[in-house]
Amino acid sequence: MDLYAVAQVIWWVLLGVLLMGLAVMVGMDMGVGVILRYVGRTDLERRVALNIIGPHWDGNQVWFILGGGAIFAAFPLIYATAFSGFYVVMLLLLWTMILRPLGFEYRSLIARAAWREVWDWTLFVSGAVPMIVFGAAFGNLFRGVPFHFEWNMTSFYTGSFLGLLNPFAIVTGVLSLALATMMGSLTVMNGAEGAMYQRARGLAQVAAAVAIALFAICGFWVRAIPGYRLTGGPGSGVPQTPLQQSVVTAPGAWLTHFEAHPILWIVPLAGFAGMLGAWLASRAGRSHLGWWLGALAWIGVIGTAGAALFPFMLPSSTDPSMSLTLWNSSSSEMTLLWMAGFTAVFVPLILWYTGWAFWVMRGKVSAEKIARGDEHAY
Amino acid sequence: MRTFLYFLLLMIVAAAVIILAAILGDVGAWYFAWLVGTTMIVLISAAGAALLDAQEEHAAAEGLAAVGRHERT
Amino acid sequence: MIDGTVVDLSRIQFAATALYHFLFVPLTLGLSFLLAAMETVYVTTGKRIYKQMAQFWGGLFMINFALGVATGLTMEFQFGTNWSFYSSFVGDIFGAPLAIEGLMAFFMESTFVGLMVFGWERLSKGQHLAVTWLVALGSNLSALWILVANGFMQDPVGAAFDPITMRMQLTSFPKLIFSPDVQSKFVHTSIAGYVTAAIFVAGVSAFYMLRRRHMPLAKRSFRMAALFGVLATMGVITLGDALGFVAARVQPTKLAAMEGLWKAEAAPMPFNLIAFPDQARQENRGVVQLPDLLSLLVTHSLNRTVPAIDALERQAKQRIENGIPAVQALQALSRDPKDAAALAQFDAHRSDLGYGFLVQRYAPDLSKVTPAQVSEAARDSIPPVAAVFWSFRLMVGFGLLMLVFFVLAALYTLRNSAQEKKWLLTAAVWMIPVPFLANEFGWLVAELGRQPWTVFGVLPTWMSASTHTVTYMAFSLIGFVALYSVFIVIEIYLLVRAIRLGPTEHGDSGDEPPQPRPAPAGRPSAAHVTEPEG
Repeated sequence: MDLYAVAQVIWWVLLGVLLMGLAVMVGMDMGVGVILRYVGRTDLERRVALNIIGPHWDGNQVWFILGGGAIFAAFPLIYATAFSGFYVVMLLLLWTMILRPLGFEYRSLIARAAWREVWDWTLFVSGAVPMIVFGAAFGNLFRGVPFHFEWNMTSFYTGSFLGLLNPFAIVTGVLSLALATMMGSLTVMNGAEGAMYQRARGLAQVAAAVAIALFAICGFWVRAIPGYRLTGGPGSGVPQTPLQQSVVTAPGAWLTHFEAHPILWIVPLAGFAGMLGAWLASRAGRSHLGWWLGALAWIGVIGTAGAALFPFMLPSSTDPSMSLTLWNSSSSEMTLLWMAGFTAVFVPLILWYTGWAFWVMRGKVSAEKIARGDEHAY
Repeated sequence: MRTFLYFLLLMIVAAAVIILAAILGDVGAWYFAWLVGTTMIVLISAAGAALLDAQEEHAAAEGLAAVGRHERT
Repeated sequence: MIDGTVVDLSRIQFAATALYHFLFVPLTLGLSFLLAAMETVYVTTGKRIYKQMAQFWGGLFMINFALGVATGLTMEFQFGTNWSFYSSFVGDIFGAPLAIEGLMAFFMESTFVGLMVFGWERLSKGQHLAVTWLVALGSNLSALWILVANGFMQDPVGAAFDPITMRMQLTSFPKLIFSPDVQSKFVHTSIAGYVTAAIFVAGVSAFYMLRRRHMPLAKRSFRMAALFGVLATMGVITLGDALGFVAARVQPTKLAAMEGLWKAEAAPMPFNLIAFPDQARQENRGVVQLPDLLSLLVTHSLNRTVPAIDALERQAKQRIENGIPAVQALQALSRDPKDAAALAQFDAHRSDLGYGFLVQRYAPDLSKVTPAQVSEAARDSIPPVAAVFWSFRLMVGFGLLMLVFFVLAALYTLRNSAQEKKWLLTAAVWMIPVPFLANEFGWLVAELGRQPWTVFGVLPTWMSASTHTVTYMAFSLIGFVALYSVFIVIEIYLLVRAIRLGPTEHGDSGDEPPQPRPAPAGRPSAAHVTEPEG
């Protein structure tokens, strides 16, 4: 394997890691937004929930921004094709996501009940919709997306908005929402006390159970879906466009890798183990352990999708041979290597200061202090 | 010994800064100007505030005359 | 081929959302450093008033920051959703700075901004100061990487077209980040942010001083802002000159449009102070000129000239003729990547590939190009002169106005008599919109002046957009207009409300009482007199 192929695989893995980081960190904040109105019955309780993630949501959201930036930089053709193809869905995602910073920053600036009510619903919508879209996007990767290219790589999307809301994508979307809800509940358990803690505890268990069921359903369903198989082309580590390969589809082909390398079954099993563990841990009141197991669940779920799809990243249902793989849609060797260098320096740094920020703000959020009027709180 | 180690550390930092500044001055003179300029702007603005405190204290020490002038306006 | 209406709607959407985003960004860039300056004084002198200042202006900072972050998300999406051909064509170079921005700058800014707001009681004084400085550094490094990306659109260095992958690819990362355009543009933009924040702080402080409210805070804030602003405005003007000097070399069409330079002039060239450019007839009306000044400004000499639009158009024609075989060779290479003859033909004409694309707008089949079509495309190579010319003059005019204001403000505040000059304070309040307008016009000069290209000389705007329908584009534009209108109303309401409420008074402006150390548990919250809400 030459250097370019290695760099491509590194970036495929790094993108997976970023998506996992996004799912865990942004998912937990969005989960708190989704359950805000359920775990917080009074305004004070809701403020406690918001202040648990208050110091961190902004930093966490950068996982999302970085995820987008990394797709753009490392796989520009996927960024271009997916973002323009999923147009209406992307707008829904964007419009709900840009409401979120305002919800956090502006909600508690004014005490009027109607004002806060509006922002509470905003936080619900801006938590639920992006997580459903995130999951549904993965579902659509398995179904294939109707797009094709012209000679100069101009992409054309020929499907409709409703086509993206097919049953399989809805199931993966709800799976993503369930995992976010579970992580949000565990986060509230970490930072709240009393009745809120108990409500979050119950919710975490329900969400974990739903997630287990949906992940299992996806596993059986995917056997019936036509999978894609690369049958020829320039191969890895060769500069190319998507016009030079051949791809066939066959039912159950997404499980080829698992059949060829049974060791891969560890990945979905880790997903199940994480969900089950998070369930038991929240039941036992061990929310910090549960949070880490929830993170493992996300890693398992996204890892499973990656292992099944490899080397495909955006399969085309219009012309399977124009499907985007990591070999034909990645950036040049030089770009990938420069970016890998920056990642190697800055990701450890990010993990270090993010850890420090969480350590500084550790402990339970005190309802009395917020009630007393801590001027810096949300 | 402790002081000497600190001295050594600071000398190494100083050498590193000089080398970096020399390189940056070569290939990115405006970046260099930005670093120096921003620091300067912030510090002059901060010094201005400290100067204001000194001026106010001075005016207060001058006595009632100065205070009266301020009150009238 | 992409529908022209779709391209126009995509451009309107980009301009609207970028200009909107750029209302909030400069204030973040500058206010973060002003906060750092205030907190530095607090930590070094221990006077509580400076902590109060940092917290009050920090509150306004956050209201503004939230919208800056929110509208920034739009920008990251928009390249992919509306400009997909652009994204795949230059993503190899353009995407990298955006990703590095996230890694190096935005993560730092966003993580520490949480600690800046929530950490007052949990961090030591020194730690909190460091956090504030890191927020300032992070937000400005963010701007650096965004402008590296933008600089590539203005002057595409460090990259080359690859006929196998059909896109631009990186050839030198250092060339990209150290390009003269990127450097001067970053410093110009960052410092324009300092000016914006300085005017904002000076204006709000003047508002208080006019009403004799919060005098210790207002006087100190005004002093700091005036000094911050006078130095920053000088810097902005210096860097504006540097940018013009760079543009003269790398973007001659932009410079000619900025100056309304239709026909060649002999050195030393006069400067058009006022003129009404007519694009169709290629001439100016109602001209008021200053002798010799243009040569001095853009070439830093009295005996050199820059090319005028007539010469640039002739040059564009030649480049279009030369670019057509390059595009044709690419089409052959797309059918067969191993076609050696096509590759040779491409290499012979590659420098003008973008100009070949330019004429494809009128002649999709390049084997049937007519001279009329070439002329039309060459005409397109000139940006909209009147808009660029006047945006430039308004930006510069506002900049000079702010310089005059800051010199006066600095003069009087250093004498500690600004609070007595009612006219100065009134002027300061009225100055608040000026830097925002100057920033917007600056954006227009830079990006309208780049037309008809998205990447100068490489990729024309007409082929950069996504292949959407007009309905889709209208739908998203209406959505953005609706959302953003609501946002701006809420933001202005909250800002005005916070300014009217004013800082929480601690009742003293003197020295801080000796603090018990260590203090991570925080001083008792009762010390914070809080604002009744609602």
